[in-house]
Amino acid sequence: MTGRLKVTAQLLALAGVAGLLALLVWKLAHQQHAPPVGSVAPAFTLRRLDGTGKVSLASYRGKPVVLNFWASWCQPCKGEAAVLEHDWTRYRSRGVEFVGVDYHDLAPDARRFVSAHTLTFPMLEDGSGRVTGSYGISQVPETYVLNRQGRIVAHLAGPITDPNFAGEFRSALAKAVA
Amino acid sequence: MILRFLAVVAAALALAGPAAACAHPRTSLAYLEGQVMCPTCHTTLDQSDSAAAQQIESFISQKIAVCWTAQRIESKLVANYGQGILAAPSHKGFDLLAWWLPIAGVLGGALVLAVGVWRWSRRREPEDSDGPPGSGLDDETERRLDEVLARFD
Repeated sequence: MTGRLKVTAQLLALAGVAGLLALLVWKLAHQQHAPPVGSVAPAFTLRRLDGTGKVSLASYRGKPVVLNFWASWCQPCKGEAAVLEHDWTRYRSRGVEFVGVDYHDLAPDARRFVSAHTLTFPMLEDGSGRVTGSYGISQVPETYVLNRQGRIVAHLAGPITDPNFAGEFRSALAKAVA
Repeated sequence: MILRFLAVVAAALALAGPAAACAHPRTSLAYLEGQVMCPTCHTTLDQSDSAAAQQIESFISQKIAVCWTAQRIESKLVANYGQGILAAPSHKGFDLLAWWLPIAGVLGGALVLAVGVWRWSRRREPEDSDGPPGSGLDDETERRLDEVLARFD
């Protein structure tokens, strides 16, 4: 009886340790990183910021897409907004779609931001950060440029107004349109 | 005299106004700062001064000013950011595990400890008994030892 009790206790302790190890492995395996350039952009469906239904990334298949992650509390996003709107009006005639994803933000503040900067391209909300997490976003603004096949052509982890990214953004757009 | 009385009444009403505006005790920013997470830095609001945290603090202050309860403010934040915005898990569904598992773990540990101590004390009881301690020799060896010792007597 004593022996059986001892073995049972040891098995329980082992099971506990194995469970904790499994949790650690699961956590490590599910850590979210930015998808690499060349890979297919993670699929998503998000609510429109203006509340008029949902939009899925799949609906843009066949068109180059500029996916911009931003938030109303983000200072560099304010400087970037006018440039994005300008590029959107410039490139839309060439079939390029611009999509904004609002990150960890209060929807009313985000709507005010869109209105104040007169942004006209589609805006989606990701308050919980589920989608932004799948893109490995840790700070905003960040921008992905996708080609017609939905593959990532460029990932710019900073404002496109930054001198380091401005050239890369233009060449990524050219590449995506080609 | 009458003028002074009216002034006191007016001052009292002015001071009582904001407090009386809420039908329930007003919650505080300090309380909610400990209950709500900053979504970008994964700490509670009181531990963060990020732009996202400041935005939420401003929202909370506005809602407190118009008498929203802590629960209503939290619900609104959950609707916007998801359940992860709260520092503590909810008391329903799967989240209940987060509350009960630590308690079960402590109780289980206490039970294992109690059983271990009980068994350890029982194992020591024969040594503590009043009778003479055993020699640890088998009967045959003891008999032969007695014979040898008898020769010396």
